[in-house]
Amino acid sequence: MPRVPIEITSPVEYLSILKEDGTLDKALEPEIPEDLLLRLYRTMVLGRLLDERMLQLQRQGRIGTFAPIKGQEAAQLGAVAALDPGDWVVPCFRETAAQLWRGTPMENILLYFGGYEEGGRIPDDQKTLPVAIPVASQLLHAVGLGWAARYRKTGEVAMTFFGDGATSEGDFHEALNCAAVFQTPTVFVCQNNQWAISVPLSRQTRSKTLAQKAVAYEMPGIRVDGNDVLAVYAAAREAVERARAGEGPTFLECVTYRLAMHTTADDPTKYRSEEEVALWAQKDPIPRFQKYLLEKGILTQEKVEENAAWAGEAIGKAVDRYEAMRGELGDPLEMFEHHFETLPPTLQEQREELKRTLEAERMESHDA
Amino acid sequence: MSLTEDKLIQMYTTMVRIREFETKVEEFFAAGKIPGFVHLYIGEEAVATGTCAVLTDKDYITSTHRGHGHLIAKGGDLKRMMAELFGKKTGYCKGKGGSMHIADVDLGILGANGIVGGGGPIANGAALAAQYRGTDQVAVCFFGDGASNQGTTQEAMNLASAWKLPVVFVNENNGYGISCPTCKSMAVADIADRAAAYDMPGVVVDGNDVVAVYEAVAEAVDRARRGDGPSLIECKTYRWRGHFEGDACTYRDEAEVQSWMAKDPIKRLREKLLEQGILTEDKDREIRDAIARELEAAVAFAEESPLPAPEEVLEDVYA
Ligand SMILES: Cc1ncc(C[n+]2csc(CCOP(=O)(O)OP(=O)(O)O)c2C)c(N)n1
Ligand SMILES: Cc1ncc(C[n+]2csc(CCOP(=O)(O)OP(=O)(O)O)c2C)c(N)n1
Ligand SMILES: [Mg+2]
Ligand SMILES: [Mg+2]
Repeated sequence: MPRVPIEITSPVEYLSILKEDGTLDKALEPEIPEDLLLRLYRTMVLGRLLDERMLQLQRQGRIGTFAPIKGQEAAQLGAVAALDPGDWVVPCFRETAAQLWRGTPMENILLYFGGYEEGGRIPDDQKTLPVAIPVASQLLHAVGLGWAARYRKTGEVAMTFFGDGATSEGDFHEALNCAAVFQTPTVFVCQNNQWAISVPLSRQTRSKTLAQKAVAYEMPGIRVDGNDVLAVYAAAREAVERARAGEGPTFLECVTYRLAMHTTADDPTKYRSEEEVALWAQKDPIPRFQKYLLEKGILTQEKVEENAAWAGEAIGKAVDRYEAMRGELGDPLEMFEHHFETLPPTLQEQREELKRTLEAERMESHDA
Repeated sequence: MSLTEDKLIQMYTTMVRIREFETKVEEFFAAGKIPGFVHLYIGEEAVATGTCAVLTDKDYITSTHRGHGHLIAKGGDLKRMMAELFGKKTGYCKGKGGSMHIADVDLGILGANGIVGGGGPIANGAALAAQYRGTDQVAVCFFGDGASNQGTTQEAMNLASAWKLPVVFVNENNGYGISCPTCKSMAVADIADRAAAYDMPGVVVDGNDVVAVYEAVAEAVDRARRGDGPSLIECKTYRWRGHFEGDACTYRDEAEVQSWMAKDPIKRLREKLLEQGILTEDKDREIRDAIARELEAAVAFAEESPLPAPEEVLEDVYA
C-alpha cells in the first residue's frame, strides 16, 4: 500500500462579522469597549485623510513616491488594535494607518517619504520598526523579535505585515517555518489586496486561499474579511492571545483591496478594470464601520463631522511641522551617505541629478 | 499498475549498481584517492531508481550534493563519474568539479548541486522550456528534507503550481539535514503536507520500496505530461552512512541505524523477486558479477587517467 492519506491538522476558516451592507452577525460581534471602537474609527478616518493629503503632496513634489493605503485601513487597524503598546510591530511599506495607531508621528511618515532618513528613526519609547522595502524581508525580523521575547520571557508579541505578493518569496517560507519550529510569539498579518503591483493574485499562486499556506508549517491559519474591522480585530486578538500564552505563531489573511495605485509611480488603469475597482469601492471598510457605530449610538452625525475636522487640522499641523523640519534639514541628500566609503559613479550621478532637480524646483517656485 | 519482469530486473540492477558504486567510493575515499567531499546515497537507492525508471532520456532531473544515485539511475557513465571523483581529466568536469558538479545534459542530468535547495528553480526553468516548446518532457527535482525548508524550494513549488509547469518534486526525507533531525527543522510531520500550500497533490511513499516510488512518480509524471501541473512526492528513507564520508554521526544512535538497515531497499526487492521467481540466485550472481566488472573498469579508467594540468585550472569556469 504505497499511499498514506495525510490528515491535515490546520483547517482554514473564514471569518466575517460586519457585512458589506452593514448587517451584523450578532453572535460573532466581539466585545470592544466604546473608547476603543471610537479610537479605531478616528484612526481609520485619519489614515484615509492623511493618505489623500500625501497624494496631493506627492503630486506637488513635496514628498517622494509612497504606497497609498486607501481601502486597507480596517485590515491594519483591526490587527494592531489587538496589541499592547509594549508589543512589536514590523511593517512593510503600506502601513500608514497602523503606524498612526502605534504613535509614529505623522511628520516622521512624511519625512520618510520625503526622502529623509530621519523619518525612519524609531522614537525611544516606540516599538514600531521602520518601513521595509525588500518584499518579505521584514517577516524574518518579526520572527527574530518574537524569538528574543520568548527567550527573555518578556511576554511581548511581534506582529508583522506583508502583502499577497510577499507569500511567494522564499523569506516568507523560511520565516513561517522558523516561527513554527521555535514557537515564536509572532503574528503574521497578510493584507491580501489582490494585486502585487500589476500581478493579480491568480497569477501569484494557485492556492485557493493564502491562509492555507500555514498548513505547510503546522501553524493555524485563518482568513478574514479584511474590510471588516470587527472580524480582523477578533481574529487578531485570538492570535495575539495564543502568542502571549506561549502557543506559537498564527497566520492571518485579511482579504482586502488596494483602491488606489500601487505607488504614486504606478498607473493601475493599465492592468485592471474600473468595474473591479468599483465593486471593491462598495466594500469600503469605513462607511460600513461608521454605520455600525451610528446604529450603536456610539457615533452621531455631529461627531462624524467633528472628527473629520479634527483629522484635517491634525494633518495640516503635521505638514507644517514637516515643512519646518525640511527647512532645517536641507535637501534630502543624506540618503546617498553611509553605504559606500566612496560613492560609485552611478550613484554620484544620481546624487547630482537630484541636487539639480531640487534646485531647479526651488528656482521655479521662487519665480512663481 | 503492473511492472514487467524486465522492468523489475532493470530496477534491481540499477539499485545494486548504485550500492556497489558508492561502496567503491567509500573505499577509495578512505584510501585517500578521492579528494574533496563525498555524500553517499547508500540506503536511499530506491528513490532515485524508482523515479528515474519512469523517465526517458529526454526528461530532466536536477540532483543534489548526494547525487551519485540520481546520476547512475538516469544513465550516467560510471567511468566518467569515477574519473571525476578521482579528479581526473577524463571526468565529467575534467576533474575540476568533483562529486557535486557532475552533469550530463544529453541525458537530461542538469547537474548535481552543492547549494541546498538549488535544484527547484533549475527544474522549473527546464519545465518552462518544455511547456513553451510544447514537448511532453518533464523535470524531476530531487531534494532533501533540509532543502524543503529553503526559500528557493517554496518559490519553485509556488511558481510551478501557478504556471502548471511539468515538474515532479521528489523529496528524499532521510530524517536529517546533516545533524539536524527533521523534528527540529520543521513543525509538520510530513513534508508532503506542504503541497497544500500550493494546491498541488502531495503524497507520502515508503522510500525504501522501489515499486511504491515508481508508482507514485508514474502518476505524477502522467499528470505533468498531460499539462496538469506539478506534484510533490515525499519518500521516507534513511542514509546508512554519515552525512559525508568522515562524519562521526554522534547525533544518532546505532539502534536507529540498525532498524533502517533492516529495511534495506535492495534486500526487500531481491527477496520479493526471488519469491516470485523473477530472479534466481544464478541470475543475481550474473547481475552482480557484471556490475563488479563495470566498476573495475571504471576504477581502472579513473586510476589510469591523467590529472588536469595546473594551467587548465581556470579553463571552463566561465563561458
Ligand atoms: C525583494 C523585492 N522584490 C521586488 C520588489 C519590488 N516590489 C515592490 S512592492 C512589490 C509588490 C508587492 O506586492 P504585495 O506583497 O502584494 O504588497 P502590496 O504592494 O500589494 O501591498 C514588488 C514586487 C521589492 N521591493 N523587493
Ligand atoms: C544553501 C546551503 N546552505 C547550507 C549548506 C551546507 N549543507 C550541505 S548539506 C546540508 C544538509 C542538507 O540536508 P538535506 O536537504 O536533508 O539533504 P541530505 O544531506 O539529508 O541528503 C547542509 C546544510 C549548503 N550546502 N547550501
Ligand atoms: Mg498585494
Ligand atoms: Mg536529509
